[in-house]
Amino acid sequence: MTQRLFAPITLLLVLIFLIGPFLIIVAASFSAGDTLAFPPQGFSFKWILKVFTVESFRDSFVMSMFLAIGGTFAALLLGIPAAYAMSRYKLPFSETVRTIVSAPIIVPGIIVGLALLRYFVVPIGLSITLALFLAHTALVLPYAVRVVSASLNNLRSDIEEAAVLLGSSRLGAFFRVVLPNIRGGILSAFILGFVTSFNQVPVSLFLSGPGVRTLPVDMLGYMEIVFDPSIAALSSLLAFLSIGIVFAAERFLGFSRYV
Amino acid sequence: MFQNRAEALALALPAAIFAGLVFLVPVILLLSEGFRSADSWSLSAYADFFSQPLNRTVFLRTLKLGAIVTAAAAVIGYATAYAIVSLPPGAKGRMIGLVVLPLMISPVARTYAWIVILGRTGIVNQALMAIGLSDEPIRILFSETAVFIGLLQLFLPLMVISLISALENLPKDVVPAARVLGANWFQVFWKVILPLTREGLVVGGTLVFTGSMTAYITPAILGGSKVLMLETLLYQQVTVANNFVSASVIAFILIVMSFAANILLKRVATARNKR
Amino acid sequence: MSDTSFLTLDKLSLAYGNTVAVKDLDLDIRKGELLALLGPSGCGKTTTMRSIAGLMTPVGGRIRLDGADITRVAANKRAVGLVFQSYALFPHLTVFENVAFGLKLKGMRGAELEAKVASGLKSVGLAAFADRKTPELSGGQQQRVALARSMVMEPKVLLLDEPLSNLDARLRLEMRTELQRVQKESGVTMIFVTHDQVEALALADRIVVMKNGAIEQIGTPEEIYNHPVSSFVADFVGFENIFAIRDGKLVAGTGEVFLSGKLPEAAGLAWRPRAISLGSGPLKGIVRGVSFAGGTREYVLETPLGIIKAEVDAALPAHALGTDVAFDLPVGSAAPLKRFG
Repeated sequence: MTQRLFAPITLLLVLIFLIGPFLIIVAASFSAGDTLAFPPQGFSFKWILKVFTVESFRDSFVMSMFLAIGGTFAALLLGIPAAYAMSRYKLPFSETVRTIVSAPIIVPGIIVGLALLRYFVVPIGLSITLALFLAHTALVLPYAVRVVSASLNNLRSDIEEAAVLLGSSRLGAFFRVVLPNIRGGILSAFILGFVTSFNQVPVSLFLSGPGVRTLPVDMLGYMEIVFDPSIAALSSLLAFLSIGIVFAAERFLGFSRYV
Repeated sequence: MFQNRAEALALALPAAIFAGLVFLVPVILLLSEGFRSADSWSLSAYADFFSQPLNRTVFLRTLKLGAIVTAAAAVIGYATAYAIVSLPPGAKGRMIGLVVLPLMISPVARTYAWIVILGRTGIVNQALMAIGLSDEPIRILFSETAVFIGLLQLFLPLMVISLISALENLPKDVVPAARVLGANWFQVFWKVILPLTREGLVVGGTLVFTGSMTAYITPAILGGSKVLMLETLLYQQVTVANNFVSASVIAFILIVMSFAANILLKRVATARNKR
Repeated sequence: MSDTSFLTLDKLSLAYGNTVAVKDLDLDIRKGELLALLGPSGCGKTTTMRSIAGLMTPVGGRIRLDGADITRVAANKRAVGLVFQSYALFPHLTVFENVAFGLKLKGMRGAELEAKVASGLKSVGLAAFADRKTPELSGGQQQRVALARSMVMEPKVLLLDEPLSNLDARLRLEMRTELQRVQKESGVTMIFVTHDQVEALALADRIVVMKNGAIEQIGTPEEIYNHPVSSFVADFVGFENIFAIRDGKLVAGTGEVFLSGKLPEAAGLAWRPRAISLGSGPLKGIVRGVSFAGGTREYVLETPLGIIKAEVDAALPAHALGTDVAFDLPVGSAAPLKRFG
């Protein structure tokens, strides 16, 4: 009897621990009170609505979206050819290339942000926006290479040879038979990169200036000053946004096959 | 496999050069600062760093929290993973989805929730006072306990996922076989399950350990300036003390530990391929 | 180089990095011929085939096709077709689109394209499958699509990599007939690579046996089967009892044996199990294994020459395990080998 209860009780407790806090945040964002508390005092949409009126949230949301979309796009532009070279060619120094490209995953983001601030932004006068863009691209690059590599390795390389023997050029073969077959992997890499970049804090911590910050960094700053449920409301909105994207990706692409 | 090396390099170099320039060069420059003193190479910055009690405390606390979060994640992770693996396929998929779900949510949001739960007027204090265990709110927030709870919640899913895949690769029927041969549950775990899932444990453990060691958000929100960890200390050194040498030393320590964990991970992975 | 040669490999050398795969290979292939490259894995047969297709650049030598030197011609300009062992169909395209792929690249469009693809599919019996996605097809059907895809391009040479190895026994027989028919109808020069002597013997007009990157023997199936030139070829085509000749004596392992009759001038002799006569003869062995194989009975004998395998009519009385038995190695029914080892 105790053994039959072991599994459900364990799972219940773990799920409460993992997901419970998130549900509390969601509940708190519908509070009618002025301070963050649980159980929420009354029910209203006022905090959810307030989120949209805070100007700095709007600006930093746009910045984070730009970084997540633009940075991931740039990372894929660099990462797809690199992944292709690693899976299809006898690449000289392939281990070195792989290590360099995947290094940003090992080095803590805060160090990357600080290093860019100290050697690019301050002495060269690189704009903070551009530094953020470069940092987020470097951060997403390892994920892009890894996910695209996984889907390239699942694709037999002889279909490219077949395309060439049927008269296609090598570049043509890539666009005609490789790209259509790794579309799912590329989209998955995009979503993983987007979520990673959007939620990233440490890299962006030092890279902020007047009016230029990412949304999570902005939230961190806001919660130090104001203790109202608007951060809870914003968190819930963002969480539902990411979950929605990932759920759609899983549903239509089988996202988890690639990640 | 194509032979043309020039083509291969042309495809791979942009990514490598980008990562090298944007990432490797500035990081190496930053790290080198910690080894310079006046105009020569020196380890004095490291000696200075460790001579200060606060820095030693933070360093040891970071190691300690990393270790106990990993240990707790391993214990809970095994129980959870075992329970999930024994579910029927449909329920298993949904349960894995629920465990992974938090990974998609912003760590800021996930950590922020603990303020509501652990704060002075939070749920835990309300409950403690309601059942009379405490007369006044106790301070949980801004303690190592709070940071521990936050980190565990953040990284437990990584451990569970690693252990699920390890347990799913367990040869069929070894557990019943051990039971039939007379092993009790403890012996089954210790002599059969643990040795066969060691790799999964190491993979999950590395992810949890490096994640905890290099976490910023959790110690920043739940620990504040009372419970500094290496990353929050680094932030403080730069923004408050403007001490880049000290920041460089911390950065180097973080990278070394992160690399060491990853090398361990690679070792285990290659040991498996050889077998 | 003979006048009749359509595809000529002239001192062809191929290498992977520093590993030499094929060395100074000369081969003349006639127009309309069905040629098999036969050999164990690593003998260089697949490498040779890939260099004919242009997927590999030779480190030395030339390849001539239909009078032109194609050694440096790119793979997509060679008019050489290849049916891959894995078929290499494009998984995102339908059967029709797979077959139309190369034709479209040639600029063919509209009704002409439709007609050409349709006739290609019809010739391999897949007219009804045009709109299917290729991963839904069976292995045999996939291979037919791959065959049609190459054949509609009207290649000068069609290469096939282990064309029967991924099929089950029944389909294998069917596909063999199919390949012969397609080859006969189109008159295309066909070269296929195989490690299976049965396939090579059944299908080819001529067989090239390869070993360690060089040609060991070229001949018709009958020549290869009955008159192997070396112990390697003999072993490959099912001679199980192979012995060297030294100083007029048959040698194997520790023993030397005098046989009745004069030994021919050769480096060695090889007998198939069927050629051994059991029950009488100057030689003695102990029965170490016996198994019934329908019409015949197979014996494993321990003899002064080492292990001898014999196969005799099952109607003859059986020799029990462990008993002594007399046997003979009739020189008249042995295949003389020019090279040994």
